[in-house]
Amino acid sequence: MLSGLANPRQAAVQLMNFGLILSTAFMMWKGISVITDSPSPIVVVLSGSMEPAFQRGDLLFLWNRNVLAETSVGEIVVYNVKGKDIPIVHRIVRKFGKGPEAKLLTKGDNNVSDDTELYASGQDYLVRKDIIGSVFAYIPFVGYVTILLSEHPWLKTVMLGLMGLVVVLQRE
Amino acid sequence: MYTSVVRLQNVFGFFTTVAFVVAAFIAASDFLTERAPIVRTLKTTSVQVVRGRPHYYSSKKEEYAVINFSLDADLSSLFTWNTKQVFVYVTAEWPAADHAKTNATNEAVIWDTIITSPSADHLANIGPVAMKKLRKSAGGKSIDPNRGKLSLKNQRHKYKITHPSGKLAMTDNVTLRLHYNVQPWVGLLTWDQDVDYGYWKALKNGVSKRFKLPAIKEKKPASAGAR
Repeated sequence: MLSGLANPRQAAVQLMNFGLILSTAFMMWKGISVITDSPSPIVVVLSGSMEPAFQRGDLLFLWNRNVLAETSVGEIVVYNVKGKDIPIVHRIVRKFGKGPEAKLLTKGDNNVSDDTELYASGQDYLVRKDIIGSVFAYIPFVGYVTILLSEHPWLKTVMLGLMGLVVVLQRE
Repeated sequence: MYTSVVRLQNVFGFFTTVAFVVAAFIAASDFLTERAPIVRTLKTTSVQVVRGRPHYYSSKKEEYAVINFSLDADLSSLFTWNTKQVFVYVTAEWPAADHAKTNATNEAVIWDTIITSPSADHLANIGPVAMKKLRKSAGGKSIDPNRGKLSLKNQRHKYKITHPSGKLAMTDNVTLRLHYNVQPWVGLLTWDQDVDYGYWKALKNGVSKRFKLPAIKEKKPASAGAR
């Protein structure tokens, strides 16, 4: 293991490769963010409010540009409740008006009532800029790893430990 | 270069690549299957405007519309091996007050339903008895031609619709429109379309005749025989 450190140039190259991989991944994420105009273009479904369409752990791809048509009733959108940082994936059930000031009401397919109670107090409807993206594609189950990691934080330590072990073993 | 760890990494990498390519092919197969949704009738059977509290959380009284309808449609061609569910919804649509200038409309869902594909029946949120019936109805098939055939007579609304202004009585040029949203197992979510795209036909006849929301229903005086 120490043979790697004895050669500082090799260690530096490895560090630089690691940094390059990290920054490439970050740039790709930000690039997709810019193309879709959404702060978070790929989201993992966290709740069961849209069952049976989406289960916990599904991966959703968002698009936030209105190129051909406005966001309309029936689209599944992700929005943040004003003042809270919780993204909610629900379907638009009502739209009054047109353009950025149009009033939108959302509801989860699996919920009995609409989202009026989830909105900030005094807010009865959403407007277009509350929405951070509309779902256009989906892959089942792939995101479950992130849910596992956030609900069982000890898994993160285990994973990091395993990765560290792999790096150390590879040197030999 | 030939440690077990590297081999494991290579296998995992290959697995992810193959899985991704297979998923892409499955998603692309959707575009090669024909879709021909048909609506035979869509009409209102009863329309009322009531002044009251439409939801349990409503703090003030407002005018809300109660629309029941009949629907006869065949959406069974939307079900393919990649279909997870079809979300069918009926909306009431009417032009906004400043429609002449801005072309703005109001649209609200009055009824919706989820039709699962037999491959996704186990995910439907229904009780054990209904689940058994649903599974049996498919008869073990992976695509059931009976799913998607909707024959509703005088279907009760699911949602009472309101307007942000609180007023709905005597609104003109209201139409009902049928929409659907196909949710695949993997791939793009698609909605009903106005134009034919390749193998997918547009939904014709999906709009009802224009109707008018009536005046507020008069409450009968509180005496015998009243509701």
